[in-house]
Amino acid sequence: MLKWLLLSYKIPPEPSARRVYIWRKLKRIGALLHQESYWVLPLNAHTREQFQWLSAEIIEMGGEATLWEASLVLGAADETLKQKFIEQVDQPYLEIIEMLEQGKADLESLSRQYQQILSKDYFKSETGRRLREALLGMRGKES
Amino acid sequence: MKWVTWENVAVDRMACAWLIRRFIDPQAEIIFIPAGHKPLPEDAEPFDIPGAKYSHRRGHCTFHTLLREYNLKDPILERIAQIVDEADVVQEAAVEPAAPGLDLICRGLRRISPDDPTALERGVLIYEALYAELMAENL
Repeated sequence: MLKWLLLSYKIPPEPSARRVYIWRKLKRIGALLHQESYWVLPLNAHTREQFQWLSAEIIEMGGEATLWEASLVLGAADETLKQKFIEQVDQPYLEIIEMLEQGKADLESLSRQYQQILSKDYFKSETGRRLREALLGMRGKES
Repeated sequence: MKWVTWENVAVDRMACAWLIRRFIDPQAEIIFIPAGHKPLPEDAEPFDIPGAKYSHRRGHCTFHTLLREYNLKDPILERIAQIVDEADVVQEAAVEPAAPGLDLICRGLRRISPDDPTALERGVLIYEALYAELMAENL
């Protein structure tokens, strides 16, 4: 059984830039919004730290944040949730693969994009592995 | 002085412990409590604990806060603060390629150390090395 981290929060509506700022950070960490109610991450020391400090930041802004460690009892299955995390990284991975296949790719910039997606690839996506090999295979072949 | 932080140190707290002993309080005694444990001991200054004076501020790491609070104006330390910022928590823009590597090494260092004080002792070498190398680059 997997362990998950759940974060729910409230931020004063104004200034709206703060809401956007927190939302961007959540996306960058790769958290998933579950049923429009709370943000989910698989639990490990790293994700715990990320959510802990994000909560502290929300509270510092005058908001409220609550962080739980949880395991699923009923409803969604671990596997379903896991699949959602994989889909979230697969899509941008596939976009890069497509660009590589079109042959007009800037390898350096695509590699950086790959690294960014990799940092939120919590379940070792197969597409990510394929992209990694494709990127490594392009070395020395750039025209 | 006595300082207190949560156990299971990683990149930011290793950096802070190094900074405290090297630039702020050479006699610092650092003690550890379980994450979330309350109340905090009264005779120790807490750091890198959410809500404490020396903690994350406006998205910056505790190392960054200590530099501000102790008025340490050293460009090399500023640079380390930037690296630790990016290593410790997600930032909207990242400019330090060393950050993810430093994060990984510090987590690994804690993993192979029998306890937190040992991890901090070993972490000193990493931050001394980082400081020396950044200094050399700047010459």
